[in-house]
Amino acid sequence: MRMRVKLYGTLSHSFPGYQHALGIEVEIPEGTTVKGLLARLEISESQGAVVAMEGRILKADDKIRCGVPVNVLQAIHGG
Amino acid sequence: MKFIKVNMNKKTIGVEDVPEKYRGLGGRGLTSIMINQEVPPKCDPLGPDNKLIFAPGLLSGTPLPNTSRISIGAKSPLTGGIKESNSGGTVAAALGRLGITAIIIEGQAPEGDLSILKIDKAGNASLIPAQDYKGMRTYKFVEKMLEIYGKKTSILCIGLAGEYRLTAASIQSSDMDGHPCHAAARGGLGAVMGAKGLKALVVDQGGKSADAIADPKAFKEAAKTFTKAVKDHPEPGHLMPTLGTAALVAPLNSMGAFPCYNARKGVMDGWEQISGETMAELIKERGGKTTHMGCAQCIIHCSNEFVDTEGNYVTGSLEYETIWAMGGMTGIADLDIIAQLDFLCDDIGVDTMSTGVAVAVAMDAGYKEFGDGAAAIEMVKEIATGTEFGKTLGNGPAAVGKHFNHSRVPVVKGQGIAGYDPRAMRGNGVTFATSPMGADHTAGNLIGLCLQGKLDPMQAEGVVAISRDLQIAMAAFDCTGQCFMATVAAFDPEPGEAFRKVLSAKLGTELGPDDFPGAMGVRVLKAEREFNRKAGFTNQDDRLPKFFYEEPLPPHNTVFPITDEEIDSTFDF
Repeated sequence: MRMRVKLYGTLSHSFPGYQHALGIEVEIPEGTTVKGLLARLEISESQGAVVAMEGRILKADDKIRCGVPVNVLQAIHGG
Repeated sequence: MKFIKVNMNKKTIGVEDVPEKYRGLGGRGLTSIMINQEVPPKCDPLGPDNKLIFAPGLLSGTPLPNTSRISIGAKSPLTGGIKESNSGGTVAAALGRLGITAIIIEGQAPEGDLSILKIDKAGNASLIPAQDYKGMRTYKFVEKMLEIYGKKTSILCIGLAGEYRLTAASIQSSDMDGHPCHAAARGGLGAVMGAKGLKALVVDQGGKSADAIADPKAFKEAAKTFTKAVKDHPEPGHLMPTLGTAALVAPLNSMGAFPCYNARKGVMDGWEQISGETMAELIKERGGKTTHMGCAQCIIHCSNEFVDTEGNYVTGSLEYETIWAMGGMTGIADLDIIAQLDFLCDDIGVDTMSTGVAVAVAMDAGYKEFGDGAAAIEMVKEIATGTEFGKTLGNGPAAVGKHFNHSRVPVVKGQGIAGYDPRAMRGNGVTFATSPMGADHTAGNLIGLCLQGKLDPMQAEGVVAISRDLQIAMAAFDCTGQCFMATVAAFDPEPGEAFRKVLSAKLGTELGPDDFPGAMGVRVLKAEREFNRKAGFTNQDDRLPKFFYEEPLPPHNTVFPITDEEIDSTFDF
């Protein structure tokens, strides 16, 4: 499935020309997990990324749903 | 290790060695334990019996980076309880380099009298008449001070709000460029300073009489390890210098936990317009600074300089909590307006968070429309002009709620919440409810655990214990003078041990995990809770406002579910 993903924090730095308003489009197989999506985006564990969908922070094994906006966020402990 | 005690009635200054009972204490630990022992709990916070204490952290003035946090403590005129508010800038490092453990302001100057407390590079303190600076805004005041005393001078000062003794008044702290854009903002300590008759603390940065480090070799070794951990950490090492704390706008909205329109919704319409990512793009485009060294000895550089379309300075260190309060709570999705509001608050000397929430309460009561940036600016300007409404606004959200007879006031113990809605992020609701400081995210923020995937923000079970542990940890770290951004690295086991070794080497005492953060944090919290009890606080004060329990927050449409019994078990020590 093709889907649009938005990257936050410093995560977009690995994607030259990334535009926030658009995000990026990725192609992933049905049933791809959070872990799978992050691997597809080549986001390493050390970058401390999590995926949010429909107002929820997903777990590593949760599946990505088609047609739902996906935000990839970085861990931050407070302001 | 010395105390400088200033009596504002008699205009006398005394210097004494730190008494045995206060040895080994710094920052929040020192201010809170001293207030609990020496300030009458039921005293008028704006009267002569209150004490205003400035205490750099235990590590301030040492070579360890990121240790220039100053703790300021007193009985709060906003909450009626104990208060420690800490700030970055340069003054803590300057005081540390002079071997000054605390400055204690006692008594009260005669009505209308105003002074500056000046400390030179030999550590000598003197009171200087400041009548000429009465009514002066903080940016202009700091500029004047730097002209007179030189650029290598650190300044803590109040603005008009402090002089008016408004209970949301801040104490502003100058940054590396001499902008008073950092603040010990919470709890109305600026009003206490104004009531004492003190306009500013002005400290020479050239001190060379720091307290000795007990084991310099061990200190150096452990400091090197810890500093490397800070630099290598994805948050202080990479994310903070890129976006600063404004990086939180996206996660909180993505979680539906961004309290906006006076906490009527958890996702703001158009939040991308005020996100950290948008702000960084805008600043870069205009030639401002997204990475900026605001505090002495900082290696993280989370600060920024926000500029206008012509590239002119608008404000400095525009952070998440201000963006949330001035943008989210008010529904103003415009960074230029938010930046102007931030500058106004810094310049007038009033807490951006309390003021943003107060503006939001006024809007919610129907005084102005949500999203009306021009109205928000006019409202904040009224604090400076001293109109009746301006004074109400400068006294914070609870005063505004009372003024409009409006019950949707998001405060605990009179202090406005921070940018995490308790209905969609339950753990921070526990911290807001129970912190002796009133609603305070810095007392124990669970957002990091949520964004590491370790805690479901909606989870209610077990979060009382997590909040407790974090509150203990933060109470201990607040004793050290270390910035929270660097403290994040100490949450991992190895750097955490290195940090403990740094502190042990400084103090000459072998500290284990039970000692730090454990015992130190518990000791501080116990003192704070004890003071509040003596001041008249009960369990009923450890409650969120009613609407958080009754009014579901979109998009999750849930309320705060944690029972009073569970809340009352938070401090089970």
